Amino acid sequence: MSFEGDEYGKRTLDFVQRLQQLTNYDDVCRHITTELEWFGFTWVTSFSIPGPGCQLKDGILLNNRPEEYVERYAEKNYVIHDPVVKELRRNMNPYSWGDVREGRDLKKSERAIIDEARDFGARDGLIIPIIKLSGSISLFCPCGFEPNLSPRARAALEIIGIYSHHALTRAVMQKQREEVVHTPLTPREREIMQWVASGKTDDEIAEILSIGTTTVTSHVENAKQKLDTFRRTYAVVQAIRLGEISL
Amino acid sequence: MVIVLNGSERRKHSDYFDQLFRLRHQIFVKQRGWPLPSVNSFEIDQYDTEDAVYFLDLDRDGAIQGTVRMTPTVKSSLLADYFPHLVENGQAPRSPHIYEATRYIVLPSYKTREALRSAKARLLTVLVEWCLSKRLSHLQAVIDSVALSSFVEITPRTTPLGLSHPYGGGRATPGGGECLAFRWPISLEVLEDVRAYGVLEGQPPRFADFDRVSRHASATQLH
Repeated sequence: MSFEGDEYGKRTLDFVQRLQQLTNYDDVCRHITTELEWFGFTWVTSFSIPGPGCQLKDGILLNNRPEEYVERYAEKNYVIHDPVVKELRRNMNPYSWGDVREGRDLKKSERAIIDEARDFGARDGLIIPIIKLSGSISLFCPCGFEPNLSPRARAALEIIGIYSHHALTRAVMQKQREEVVHTPLTPREREIMQWVASGKTDDEIAEILSIGTTTVTSHVENAKQKLDTFRRTYAVVQAIRLGEISL
Repeated sequence: MVIVLNGSERRKHSDYFDQLFRLRHQIFVKQRGWPLPSVNSFEIDQYDTEDAVYFLDLDRDGAIQGTVRMTPTVKSSLLADYFPHLVENGQAPRSPHIYEATRYIVLPSYKTREALRSAKARLLTVLVEWCLSKRLSHLQAVIDSVALSSFVEITPRTTPLGLSHPYGGGRATPGGGECLAFRWPISLEVLEDVRAYGVLEGQPPRFADFDRVSRHASATQLH
């Protein structure tokens, strides 16, 4: 069996080669969505499954599904009941919505979740799980009205999904590096946050530095504002993240 | 510590080679169920010739915690001999400037994610440095498709030669799956990617040493 000259292989290798040249987030997104359209996938969501304390929306690398669909999905908390998502517990290889529907007996309510996507023009889709070495799981999920799900198309989309995910991750990280702007702490605020990080109360810090407790409190409040948080603990976390203090 | 042995030194370093072939049997024949030739719990195949080059990452006690075999594609290539259909971009699977990596194992004695990451980077850094010194243009490998993502995570310059194809009965069969071939260009950029991968993002390099320190500490406790 030779697939040389078959369009899937050539297209996909071209796709990867062009993707390797792109670093700008918007260019990467456009390149991915254009390629998916050729396969009949109108929509795509690429995201990391959130770890504890993280919001789903923070893990989204790319999403062009209609907003109403995403909102309804989030509002009804479908992610807990969606059989397509549940399938991940038994399968880390790529699979389609159709595979899940045909693979096992679904409850009416489960089928309804898949069918609801039809209102938005998606009758079938693919789930491509990507396990990172950090242990986190990411999903690349294109869908459409009549997407091409032939074996060769799936093999192509698996590669497209993996490369897209990693290219998006890199592009997002670069964008964030360019965007991170916070007002730097003053030396005094930094010193006080360092004491906060070691568990001292404002009273204790006041005593250590021989200044008034209200002065300490106002420094801490200013630091919290600059670090964009309301809570003391999270202010410490942010200060470490931004390199203002160290442990 | 990573050492590089030539296939011609098999007798001279028989202790390392015995350990290597035994480990390969354990991993590939017993655990993964690949139908490979093996004698007395040694896994040795037709590519274990004098031309092969072996990279062994040894721990303090001289036990292998990572290894990969490199063969000149002109003489020994799994891709050319058994998986030519994996090449879909019309390129020749053999070239005097391309070596092929096979029998890749990373097995740190402490299996934390951090240890796995630094063990991979340690082995692959020496591998890429060696390829640079040999002035190779590329290294290539046939891998199970599930591993593709981990190589792309190490360097985005990982380039597939074709799409996935089933082997050994496909994903539904034990010991089977889907495989594909990829190449890494041999360049300073790839070397930099591999090195950077060994360092936790956003963390100072001292973090990588943590693993070494803790391993040493627990070894001392045992004695």
